[in-house]
Amino acid sequence: MERHGLGGAIRAFPGSGLRRDLESTKPKQGAVGLAGSSWSAFILAFSLAGFLVACAPASKRGETVLTFSGSALGAEGTLVQKQLKRFMELHPTIRVELQRTPDDASQRHQLYVQWLNARVGNPDILQLDVVWTPEFAAAGWVLPLTRFAPASSEFFPATIAANTWAGQLYALPWFADVGLLYRRTDFVPNEPRSLGDLVTDAKQAMARPGGPRFGIVWQGARYEGLITGFVEYLGAFGGRILDDSGRVVVNQPEAVRALQFMRDELYTWHIAPLDVLTWHEEEARFAFQNGTAVFMRNWPYPVAAMSDKSQSRVAGKFAVSPIPASGQAGGHSTAALGGAQLAINAYSESPDAAYRLIEYLTAPEQMIERGQAVGQYPTRPALYHDPRLRSAIAIPLDDARRAIESATPRPVTPIYTELSEILQIELHRALVRQAEPQDALNSAAKRIDALIERTGMRKLMSGAHNGPGPASAASSTAGHSE
Amino acid sequence: MRKISRLGYEARLGWSLVAPALSVIALIAIFPLGWTVWESLHLHELRMPWLGQPFVGLANYVEIAKDPRFWAALAHTAFFTVVSISLELLIGLFLALAMNRAFRGRGFVRAAVLVPWAIPTVVAALLWRFIFESQGGIANALLVDVHVLKEPMVWFIETSTAWVPVILADVWKTTPFVALLLLAGLQNIDLSLYEAAAVDGANAWWQLRHITLPLLKPAILVTLIFRTLDGFRVFDLIYVLTGGGPGTSTEPVALYTFNALLQNLRFGYGSALSVVIFAITFGLALLYVRGLGVRLGGEET
Amino acid sequence: MTSVAAPPRPRRRTAGISWGAWLFGAALVVLILFTLFPFYWAIVASLTPDAALFRDPSLWPQQIILDHYRALFGERDFITPIRNSLIVAGTTTVFCLFVGTLAAYALARLEFKGKPLIMGFILAVTMFPQISIVSPLYLLLRSLHLIDTYPGLIMPYMTFAMPLTVWVLTGSIRQIPKDLEEAAHVDGATRRQSFTKILLPLAVPSLATTGILTFIYCWNEFLFALSFTLGPERQTVPVAIALFRGMYQVPWGEILAAAIVATAPVAALVLIFQRRIVQGLTAGAVKG
Repeated sequence: MERHGLGGAIRAFPGSGLRRDLESTKPKQGAVGLAGSSWSAFILAFSLAGFLVACAPASKRGETVLTFSGSALGAEGTLVQKQLKRFMELHPTIRVELQRTPDDASQRHQLYVQWLNARVGNPDILQLDVVWTPEFAAAGWVLPLTRFAPASSEFFPATIAANTWAGQLYALPWFADVGLLYRRTDFVPNEPRSLGDLVTDAKQAMARPGGPRFGIVWQGARYEGLITGFVEYLGAFGGRILDDSGRVVVNQPEAVRALQFMRDELYTWHIAPLDVLTWHEEEARFAFQNGTAVFMRNWPYPVAAMSDKSQSRVAGKFAVSPIPASGQAGGHSTAALGGAQLAINAYSESPDAAYRLIEYLTAPEQMIERGQAVGQYPTRPALYHDPRLRSAIAIPLDDARRAIESATPRPVTPIYTELSEILQIELHRALVRQAEPQDALNSAAKRIDALIERTGMRKLMSGAHNGPGPASAASSTAGHSE
Repeated sequence: MRKISRLGYEARLGWSLVAPALSVIALIAIFPLGWTVWESLHLHELRMPWLGQPFVGLANYVEIAKDPRFWAALAHTAFFTVVSISLELLIGLFLALAMNRAFRGRGFVRAAVLVPWAIPTVVAALLWRFIFESQGGIANALLVDVHVLKEPMVWFIETSTAWVPVILADVWKTTPFVALLLLAGLQNIDLSLYEAAAVDGANAWWQLRHITLPLLKPAILVTLIFRTLDGFRVFDLIYVLTGGGPGTSTEPVALYTFNALLQNLRFGYGSALSVVIFAITFGLALLYVRGLGVRLGGEET
Repeated sequence: MTSVAAPPRPRRRTAGISWGAWLFGAALVVLILFTLFPFYWAIVASLTPDAALFRDPSLWPQQIILDHYRALFGERDFITPIRNSLIVAGTTTVFCLFVGTLAAYALARLEFKGKPLIMGFILAVTMFPQISIVSPLYLLLRSLHLIDTYPGLIMPYMTFAMPLTVWVLTGSIRQIPKDLEEAAHVDGATRRQSFTKILLPLAVPSLATTGILTFIYCWNEFLFALSFTLGPERQTVPVAIALFRGMYQVPWGEILAAAIVATAPVAALVLIFQRRIVQGLTAGAVKG
C-alpha cells in the first residue's frame, strides 16, 4: 500500500531524477523502495504473528482437549502436573493441557477478563480467586454447576456460599485460605479469648525484659489484604459490609468500633507499629519470624518457613489459633476466607469433560495429596479427621477446621473489586489519620452506594436472592447453548 | 518554469519520504486518540457485559466533574509538577553553569549526572523506595545517627513525608536532563558579552542576572514545557514509590486513569479521563507556546 | 572517561580561587554524591544478606554474597525479561531508524510546504500523554489478539519512538554541512545519490546516537509494557522489576540486584557515548 503511494508520487513526474534513479537501481532495492516494502513486510509480520498467537493448537480426532489454567510454578506446579497425568490415565479420551497463567492475582484476573470478553473457549477450566466468582457468574463467563449436581454439602458451607450467585453454585472450592492469629507461646502460652485479652497479652509481653518490640503485626498497606484484616475485626465486633438484602452497612456503629480498634492498636495502645500501614503478608512474616512481634495476623502459608530453625528465630515457639471475637454483644470470632476455586469457562466446548476434571481435582484423595505436598487446606471438613493430613498441616487439625468454619466470605457481589478499592482507600485514610473512622466509613458507604446505583447492582442483588436473576439472562445473551 | 518544477519535485519527494513515518504515527497515535474520544462518550465496563455499551453523551465527563478523587489527583499532579520542576530548574541551572566551565573532571561530572537520566524510572523509584523504607532504610538509619530523628519513621503513611522520596527521586532522575538543555542554551550565549561586562567591572552576580538569565530565557522556557508536560504525565515513579498512597493522597491523574482503565476496566470513564488529561496537556502546551512566546526549534528561518 | 577533550570553544578561566569558587566546588561535590549515592547503596545492599540488611543497615559492606544475583538468574528467570526487552527495544529502534531516516532527510534537506506543520505535528506527538491512548490501544491489540505478544508492544512503542527518532535525527542531520551534497548536485548527482553516497556515511554517528536514545527510551518504557503484557513470558525488564514484589514477598535483595542488572547496559551506553548523547538530546530541542 505504501509502495503504491510512493510509486504513484514518482510516476506523476516522469522526468524527475528520482524516477530514473529508482528504476536504474530497482534490482538492488534502493533505500526508498526498501523502506516502503519493509514497512508493509513489518505490518504483515505483525498480523501473521497475531494470527499465530490467536490460533489454538489443533486436536486429534476423537479426543477431547481440555485446557487447565493455574499456577505452574514450583512444588504446586509439579503437583498439578502429576494429578493431571493421573486424570488422563483414568480418562484416555481426554487430554489436558496446562496453560501457565500469571501468579499475581490482579494480572490473572485481567487476563481472564480479556479472554472471556473475547469469548475465547480456552482455558476450559479457570482457577478463580474467592472474590471473583460472583463477578464472573453475573457476567455469564462461567457455567452454573447445578446441572452436574455437585455434592456441595460435603464442602465447608462458607466456601460454598462464596461461590454461589443468584442461588446457583458456579465453582467448586479447591483449597481454602483463612486468616489466623499467630502468637509467641513463650510469651503468651494460652490463646487470647477476646480482642481485649489480645491487647493485654501484647502489652504485657512487650513490657517484659527482652520482650518483642511489637505487640501485633498485620497487613495494613492499601491493598486487598487490608480488607481481609478489616473483615476479621468487623466480624469480631458483629459488623458487616453489606447486609443480606445488599444494603451498605459498613458505616454502622459496629464497623466504626472495629476500625477504631485497629486505630487504637496503632495510636493508643501502641501495640501495632505504624510500619504495618505499608506492610503486606511478607513484611509481617519477616517481623514475626525475626522475633520482633508477639502476635501476627496471617494466612497459613508461613507456618512451614517459620518452623524451619535455620531461617526462623521462632521455630517451636509459636502457635496458631482463630482470631478472637471482641467480647462485645453480637461479635464472633471471624476469619477472612481466601483460596482458589475451579470453574468452567462458559465458552468451553467440552463442559462435561471439564466438570469431570474439576470433580477429580476436588476429590478427597487429591485434596489430601495437595495438603501433603504444598500445605494447602482442604475444603472438605471430613478430611480434617484424616491422619495423613495431620503431618502435612503444621497446626492442630481442629484449629484449622475451626478457623475455616468461622470464616466469612468477603461480600459476595459482582462488583467486589471496585467495592474493595473504595473500602481500601477509606480504611487506609482512617488508619493513617487522614480521616476519622466514622467519616471515612460514611464516605465509603456513600461511594459504594453510588457504585451500586451506577452498575444497576441494586436490581441485580435483589435478583440474586430470589429467582433466576440476571446471570442466566447474561449467559443466554452470551450465546452459550447447553 | 524549471524553478517551479524543482520545487514541486522536492515537495513530492519530501512528502513521500515523510509519509511512512507520518502514517505510522497517525495509525498508532492519532487514530487511537480519536477512538478514545469515541469511547469516552459510551458506557463501557469490560467486567460488566450486562450493561452493554450504550452511548451516554457527556455523562462520563459530568461524572469526572463531580468526582472528588479526580480533582484531588489533579491537585497532586500540579503540586508534584510545580515543586519538582522548581527544584530541577534551580539545581539544573547550577549544574549547567558548572558544566559550562572548564575544570578538571568535567567529563566525569557530565557522565555521572547523565546516568540517573538514562536508567528506567521504575529502577529509580525502587532505589528511592528502598532508601526510605521504614525497616532497614538507610535514610532512617542516617537521620537517627545524626540525631535529626529520634527513632525510625514511616515515611509512606503521611502525605507530607510521602512526597519527600517522590520529589527527591524525580529531582535526582530529571535534573541532568534539565541541566543539559540549559547547558545547550548557555553555549549559545556570545562570550564577548561577558568580556564587555567584565571590562565595565560587573561582578558575576550582575552578569548572571543581566546577561545569562535573559539570554537563557528561551532554553528555560523550552525546558519548562518539556518538564511540565512530563510532570502531568507522571506515572511510573508514583506507581512504584507510593502506589498513590497513603489513602490516595499522592495519586496523580495518570495513575487514577490507569486504575480506572486497567484495574477496574471502566473503559468509558477511563477514556473520558484520558481525554481530559490530553486536553489539559494540550492546553498547557498552547499556553506556553502562545502566551510565553516560546519558539520551538525546528523551522529553518 | 574522566578526561574529556577540551571544549570546542574557548572558555573563561576563573581568576584565582575565590571564596565563591570554593562554595561552588563544595556544592558540586554534594550534588555528585547525591547522584551517585543511590547506586552505591543499591550495589552494597544487593550484595548483603537480607537478614543483615534489615537488622542494622550499614553504609559499608560487612559481608559480601552473590546469592541475590544467583537467585535472579536461577529461580527468578530474569533472562526472560531481558530477552523480551532486547527484542522489543531492538526491533522498535531498527524500524524507527529505517523509517525515521527518510523522514528526517526530507525534513532537514528538502524544501516543501507543510514542513513546519509536520515538525509541529511530530513535536506535539512527542508530548502526548501516553495514558491518553492506552484504552484504544488495549482494545485494538485485544481485537488483533496481540495482547501479551512482541508485536503488541512494538506497535505501541512506535507512538513515542517514531516521533523521537524523527525529531532527533532531523536536528542532527541539519548540523551536517550541506556543502558536499550541493557540490555533488552541481556535478549532476541525483538526490538519491547524494543521500546514499554522501549524507548517509556522514550521518552514521547521528544514526548511532539516535538509535541509542530511542533504544534507551524503549528499554525504560513502563506504562505500555505494564498494560499490554500479562505474564512473566512477555514482561519487559521494568515491569518484571516493578512486579517483583509478588503476592506475598518484598525480596529487596533480588529487586536491587535486578535494578543493577537493568541499569548496567544503559549506564554503559551513557558512559561510552555521553558526548554524543548530550549532543543528540539537545540538537533539536533548543535553538538559540
